[in-house]
Amino acid sequence: MLWVNSYINGMSDYIVLVKQVPDITQITDNAFNLETGTLIRSRLASVINELDTNALAIAGRMNQLSDKPGKIIALTMGPPAAEEVLRYCLARRCDSAVLLTDKALGGADTCATANPLAFAIKKIAKELLGGSEDYYVVSGMQSVDGDTAQVPAQIAEELNMPCLPYVTDVEYKNGRFEFKGIISGGSQVISNKKVPAVITVAKYEYPLFATFAGTRLASNFKFIQWGANDINATHIGINGSKTRVISVFPPGKTTRKCRGVKDAGELAKLMVENFGKERQSGESAHDNYVLPGKRKNLFDRRFEGTKKESEDYKILADVLAKLEIKEIKQITDEVKEKIAAAASEHFHKKALEDMLAGAQVFEPAYQGQVWIAAELEGDVIHPATFELIGKARDLADSLGTQVGVVIAGNNLETKELIAAGADFVYAIEHPLLGEFDPVIYRKVFSDTIAKYWPQIVLFAATPQGRIVAPMIAYRLGCGLTADCTGLDIRDSSRKNQVAILMQTRPALGGNVMATICTKDSKCQMATARPGVMKRLAPDAKRIGKVIKEAAEISETDLSVDIIKTEKGKGKVNLGADVVVSGGKGMQSRDNYESLVNSLVESLKHKLGTSVEKGASRAAVEQGFIDRIHQVGQTGTAIGPKLYIALGISGAIQHMIGVANSDIIVAVNSDPNAPIFKHCDYYIVGTIEKVVPQISEALAKI
Amino acid sequence: MSKTSVIIVGAGPAGLSAAMTLKRLQPETEICVIDKAAEAGNHNLSGATVETGALETLLDAVKPGWKESEAAKEILAYKVAKDNVMFFAGKNFAINIHPMMQLASMFKINFGQMRHQGDYILSISKLTKWLCQLAKEMGVEVIHGFAAEDIIYDTEKNIATGIKLVDQGIDKHGNKQPNYVAGEIINADVIILAEGCDGLVTEKFIQKASLERRAKQLYSVGVKELIRVSDEQFAKFTSGRVVHAMGYPLWTPVLGPEMFGGGVMHPVSANHIAVGMIVGLDWKYCDFNPQDALTNFKNHKFVKKFIEGGTIVEAGAKMIPEGGYFALPRAEQTRAIGRGNVLILGDAAGLVNMIKIKGLHNAIKSGIAAGEAIALCTNNITYTASKYTELLNSMGVIEEMKTASRFRQNVAKLGPLFGMPITALGQKVPLFEVEEDYHVMTGRKYKYKPSKNYDKDTFTAMAATQHREEQPSHLTIINRNTCMQKCKPKFDSPCITFCPAGVYETVGDEVKPANPSNCLHCKTCQRKCPFDNIRWTVPEGSGGPRYKNM
Repeated sequence: MLWVNSYINGMSDYIVLVKQVPDITQITDNAFNLETGTLIRSRLASVINELDTNALAIAGRMNQLSDKPGKIIALTMGPPAAEEVLRYCLARRCDSAVLLTDKALGGADTCATANPLAFAIKKIAKELLGGSEDYYVVSGMQSVDGDTAQVPAQIAEELNMPCLPYVTDVEYKNGRFEFKGIISGGSQVISNKKVPAVITVAKYEYPLFATFAGTRLASNFKFIQWGANDINATHIGINGSKTRVISVFPPGKTTRKCRGVKDAGELAKLMVENFGKERQSGESAHDNYVLPGKRKNLFDRRFEGTKKESEDYKILADVLAKLEIKEIKQITDEVKEKIAAAASEHFHKKALEDMLAGAQVFEPAYQGQVWIAAELEGDVIHPATFELIGKARDLADSLGTQVGVVIAGNNLETKELIAAGADFVYAIEHPLLGEFDPVIYRKVFSDTIAKYWPQIVLFAATPQGRIVAPMIAYRLGCGLTADCTGLDIRDSSRKNQVAILMQTRPALGGNVMATICTKDSKCQMATARPGVMKRLAPDAKRIGKVIKEAAEISETDLSVDIIKTEKGKGKVNLGADVVVSGGKGMQSRDNYESLVNSLVESLKHKLGTSVEKGASRAAVEQGFIDRIHQVGQTGTAIGPKLYIALGISGAIQHMIGVANSDIIVAVNSDPNAPIFKHCDYYIVGTIEKVVPQISEALAKI
Repeated sequence: MSKTSVIIVGAGPAGLSAAMTLKRLQPETEICVIDKAAEAGNHNLSGATVETGALETLLDAVKPGWKESEAAKEILAYKVAKDNVMFFAGKNFAINIHPMMQLASMFKINFGQMRHQGDYILSISKLTKWLCQLAKEMGVEVIHGFAAEDIIYDTEKNIATGIKLVDQGIDKHGNKQPNYVAGEIINADVIILAEGCDGLVTEKFIQKASLERRAKQLYSVGVKELIRVSDEQFAKFTSGRVVHAMGYPLWTPVLGPEMFGGGVMHPVSANHIAVGMIVGLDWKYCDFNPQDALTNFKNHKFVKKFIEGGTIVEAGAKMIPEGGYFALPRAEQTRAIGRGNVLILGDAAGLVNMIKIKGLHNAIKSGIAAGEAIALCTNNITYTASKYTELLNSMGVIEEMKTASRFRQNVAKLGPLFGMPITALGQKVPLFEVEEDYHVMTGRKYKYKPSKNYDKDTFTAMAATQHREEQPSHLTIINRNTCMQKCKPKFDSPCITFCPAGVYETVGDEVKPANPSNCLHCKTCQRKCPFDNIRWTVPEGSGGPRYKNM
């Protein structure tokens, strides 16, 4: 490791991580299993992960900006066909490319992906960069298939490097790089104190174009190919993974109301009445989990991870009831034979034995509290932290344990956390924790977690949470599931595990859902999507205990210099509760500005919540508004409580990007506009006429 | 700057056939094929019935035993077993006129060519993808994602030295972005233009090298949907059947519309049927959109039962060059199709036989001829174009084009009712002077306009078209005033209606190519704007549709 100010020659090299992913922007007709509705990955075309193309461009830009250009080497791990993405890189200024491919590496989760990649990076530095320590590992922030954003951070953890997340631009000043990156609610300019360092790229406007000469070269290039034995990684493949997938299922069908409304007043009323009402999702019908030992019937296994398992256990319970077996000790070898005979039409003998063994497990698989790692935005606790405490309360109550919140910072205020539902607050205070530095934060959080070993730790899937959680999980040897939208305690009796955390998340751009659980870990960890879990009403009378934790950190632990932080003003918050988008039907920039702005203001006034302006691709193309406001598949995918589409026809690409909205309202002059089939309420009419009427009606309600 | 021996613009069947033939004859020659599509076959769309003779000639030579390969079996899965040539008289009534074609064939009348016995129903996208793979295996460099913008041509010496690629990384306003890459120049000894219909570089070359067409090039546009149907529907249709339908909704007697063209229906793969509509670009109705005719065709009693309730899974549009023999671009003295070291192949030259409604076989033959010509002229490259044309003659391509000559001109002049039958007189009919298609627009309305607008959004989504959105619009309107002052009052801006991708819209008080990124590269706008006021230029490479089974 080198300190950046000890640069000798100002020449850095770059290792760019690229991944081959299914092309989820082009989901073909036959890509779904018609029976289960599940997306079949192998039927999608393969492309390079888009953010990795941005990463390559950042590396190219850095190389262009620095004093002396160094080498750019592309690295990918995947099946042999993944060499296509290396060709992509070679056609765009890469000097060399390494393909890490081996059957033994397959089936890996993020931990077992980061580990071999880290070892490959070490080998590249040693063998291809002449042992240099002045290099950057540049990677897309996340891949479209996994969507986890965990691998780069975990590589940084394995290699003990600084990790500079969510970079969107780079400059070179006074002999060092300054990176502009995204933080919660704003942006930050930072510089790494040490090299080598990991850079994750969230967006870069100018991906490199292939050159003709480069493309010709790439097509005949001899890649360096390494297998598992070449890199000596410690955690690979399925066995090295810390999570396992329980089930994959299609996301719930959208059930839009598609109700046409004649009058703007009625539309306004419907908007206000239904605002905040969640869209029906099949999941809310879950019973509250009860530990197996506390259930009325000893053999009641209603809470299995999959419906099929629950049904199987129901059959078993019925068989046992028929045989009048009420206690475990009644199940002798002789009785087992009887059970086997009675259940033979349902289960094979071996399967039955596994089930019976599982039915005798009552001890929860994990012990300890349910923890939330709190997040600070400046001095304020991030709203997502409170949502998670609400969820943790739920989980802890069904597990019969307490809720703990671990928080790190300088001058902490903890009352709110207790009021929100925490039983314990573990407060880590230190002057060096005043600003978020991933390396320092991950250290103090890890130390505290390892001191108490809670059974669950949840993080918010915010920019901060998504960088620090993977580092902590990796450091502590625990599995981590990213960006969960469902968290439930369930049993996996057949695997002799009860009361484990089932972590449900969308994958492949929301086209499939997966339920995942942790394995081979001391603690179950997950990040959860903000805005999905419900916070509890604060109760100032709640009693909780604050425990001060010491932070063993010093100046030399800092990994980044924070040069500038920009928040708030002028930024676009497409995560707002309400988004009002204008499309080409707005006709002109003037129209867009006056009509969208006025509706935004009336909604803010009426609903008292955050309202943001959005736009369709076409409106952006016409120059009605900045591209940063673009909503949809090629812009930002959003899920507000209320989405209002003005003069937007509703091309598939747009609708995919707003599919998560609770309520969609559309105004369009074309009675055949496709959007009317994908919205809840609509009105046919010209924008210029209808929008002022809505504003007026809102004011009257 | 890059260098290669032979550069081929366009990795379609013509260009790839040339590359493969030359590689077979001269394995050491460096051959580079470039294509603007992102991947092989993405910009290839056809009406699907193919005479495989030329393909067999090509592949027997370069890949003996090819018929046994899995790919060949998949691509040539459907042989025409049932050939329906229909006449639709109104939206319910259909007559099979195939027996008439058979009769014509017996009496050696040129119309006999309109039959499809022995042909295969295939996807040209798939075929192209496979040919591309074969060419690569032979050692041909096939590079996708690069669009050619111009040819470097010395008008003094009448020799071309290379191809210029399009610049990449320019923003909407024409400024260079940080990732700007100037269009590279690829130098080559021989240049093959196999760009397909209305090729951008081809047309520039025709100007620069003063090639002539005896008759104006005329066009049709085809729009096509691929529909997933039920097991029962597919079984009823049968997998070896191809339907060509004339009459309604393009032409009906007395007061009906008078347009040239017709509908097509054929199987694509299990449970997938394609429906298409081909319309001569000389339609007169200002509110006409070929997709409307496709809707009517789909609703025709004969067609509907096979596709009703199905799901559109792929869609696309493409033009067909129809001027025929007299519209071939020729060098002044040599009469070569091309000039010196530049050859023009396939659809770029216009080698479509309009009576057969087929061009693919000629495209492949032109590729074979080009490959052989280059091999024969290694020591005298300026003679290559002439040699190529000689070979086209000796292979019978030109003769075949002659038998179908005048067809499209007759129809343009006399209308389908008289124009088509008179073609049976062959060379005895004089060659009518016919203006470009766009001249004939009127303010008249299409009689069978469906009540609902065609869903162009879904159409473009199913064509999977995509462009980098920050680049300058590759469609330009020459004179903005013409649109609002002349076109709008007279014809109500037909481009908005006929563009199959909905690229054009009225925004504010202007008609604009508002959605250039939806463009399907069919170029109908450039040939049908009644004031010849639109120009299609080439966008950055990799843009455009992404056809897979078209």
